[in-house]
Amino acid sequence: MGPGLLWLVLFFVVPLYFMGRLALESGTLETGFRFTWEWSNFTDGISLYEEQLIRSFLYAGAATAIALLIAYPLAYAIAFRAGRWKNALLFAVVAPFFTTYLIRTIGWQTILSDDSPVVSVMQAVGLLSDGGRLLATPGAVIAGLTYNFLPFMILPLYASLERIDESLIEAAKDLYSSSRAAFWRVTLPLSAPGIVAGTLLTFIPVAGDYINAEFLGSSNQAMVGNAIQSLYLELRDFPTAAALSFTVMAVILALVVVYIRFAGSEALMGEETEEAR
Amino acid sequence: MVAPMALAAALAVVACGGGDGGIEGGSEATEVTTAEAEGEATGNLTVSNWPFYVDKKTVPEFQKQTGLSVKYIEDVNDNTEFFGKVQPQLEQGQSGDRDIFVVTDWMAKKMYDLGYLQNFDQEAVQPAVDNLIPSLQSPSFDPERAYSLPWQGGMAGLVVNTQEAPDVTSINDLFDPKYKGKVTMLTEMRDTVPLVMKADGVDPAEATEEDWMAAIEKIREAAQSGQIRRFTGNDYTRDLANGDAVAVIGWSGDAVQLQADDPNIEFRMPDEGCSLWADNMVIPAGAPNPTAAYEWMNYVSQPENAAQISNYNYYIAPFEGTKEVLEQKGSPAAKSDLVFPSEEYTAECSTQTDPPGGPEAVRRVEQAFQSVVTGG
Repeated sequence: MGPGLLWLVLFFVVPLYFMGRLALESGTLETGFRFTWEWSNFTDGISLYEEQLIRSFLYAGAATAIALLIAYPLAYAIAFRAGRWKNALLFAVVAPFFTTYLIRTIGWQTILSDDSPVVSVMQAVGLLSDGGRLLATPGAVIAGLTYNFLPFMILPLYASLERIDESLIEAAKDLYSSSRAAFWRVTLPLSAPGIVAGTLLTFIPVAGDYINAEFLGSSNQAMVGNAIQSLYLELRDFPTAAALSFTVMAVILALVVVYIRFAGSEALMGEETEEAR
Repeated sequence: MVAPMALAAALAVVACGGGDGGIEGGSEATEVTTAEAEGEATGNLTVSNWPFYVDKKTVPEFQKQTGLSVKYIEDVNDNTEFFGKVQPQLEQGQSGDRDIFVVTDWMAKKMYDLGYLQNFDQEAVQPAVDNLIPSLQSPSFDPERAYSLPWQGGMAGLVVNTQEAPDVTSINDLFDPKYKGKVTMLTEMRDTVPLVMKADGVDPAEATEEDWMAAIEKIREAAQSGQIRRFTGNDYTRDLANGDAVAVIGWSGDAVQLQADDPNIEFRMPDEGCSLWADNMVIPAGAPNPTAAYEWMNYVSQPENAAQISNYNYYIAPFEGTKEVLEQKGSPAAKSDLVFPSEEYTAECSTQTDPPGGPEAVRRVEQAFQSVVTGG
């Protein structure tokens, strides 16, 4: 067995097996858990936490879309316009990672809190109603998710934009293409692999996140990660928690497959790339 | 695919806590061992406690006097959450190197019943037990004090910002639309739900499962409407300090800690009374140094040392002689109803209790409450 395969078996297949087994057990902490093919754990998990499940994917979709809108111009600027500032800007993208995720999120909790200068200013200029708030709203949670996962969007986008041969864009312009048309017909298709990689790297972890909802949301913004956390650590209902985890994984997998089918395969397979060349 | 793998792996690591892959509960009859004291206490002592519970001097002075090296960790934010954190280790007979942790009465009993705690070496802990105030000497969950020794007692009630919420005097006021989005409640179900029941005139000691569920339903509606901003462990102190909350269900002594930064914050006994409990020092199975644990228990039970702790945390002092020392020192804590509550002060209070009807019913109620906390 190659080391890669061994790694995969040891740290993915084996744990997955145990989790799958756990998802089909029944019992309580006090009486012990027994393997009973308890498929109802899945239906229970979904029916109890349907709302959180749907909300997670909505938030993940919103955060991914916003991150893409922010990241693309940024990555484009770094790749084509930054000149000697390129490395410094890339460092700036990665720099927040030097502080842990948790601390950064709790930092936002303080920045967005009701008595913070940010909220006072927004109330003063009428962006927020008096008594309006930022913290404990869906907006705060989505903003936190976007912020925390933005580098995962920027870096693959940058990597694919940076690789584009600029003479192709020049060639397009030589053939009387406007700058805008050159972007839409040359640059954007060539950066498609970066878009696909970036959106996946952002969407997948965001869908399972619970830190942002925990610190920046109220109970009305709880995501499926919070539900799983509560099932595991508060209710000690391991089987339902495992079943719900599996459900999340399955939904993500299904979405990713559909996404790559419709949006990604051409980009990934390089069909457009050939055409452009 | 990296991320779902990582997610799966991380969850599976949690899931693998049970050794052979499945997680075993306390199904096998577990034998409770006794944590024997052996000679002089030496070496290290690790104590897990709640935040805002010890002053800055007690630990260093104890180290100096005993020569023990103490690791004092404030990692208990909520009973259930702490249980979730340590249970996989405890199930393996390990305490995560902790010699003592401090949990509330009902959690101490739950852990004991699961075989996660050790009995005290009665002889070694006798000085501390003898020094307990009468009301704490034989609680119903551990009448002999065989495995638990109070760290402090306390009350759950209202903690309010007097400037922003001057007229909040009852738990019912937390449901007043005037305070929409500025209210938090505790994730500690046995505090929050009985307080809401009491506000509706239901005595928690007599409450049925339906009463619990009705109170939970009331809380659910308030959470969904945005009246309740969030549910917290001990971290509600941050919401109050940031101004995100102005009236909350909180614990008695914390308010005094918060006053250091904001003199407007105070504990208020709700009109309908409070929820009374005690947090106990227990010795988990697998504790590496029980001898040192007894040393600590006896140390904090001495009036002089107990007074120093009470003077800081303002929770109910469990040991005799504390008041006298505080009086001698002229500390305002000696006169505080929070530290030495009079009978009149706590007349309407109820002792913290489980929902009625045995483990199955408790589970149903816990499930309902947790679904509120996670936005169901």
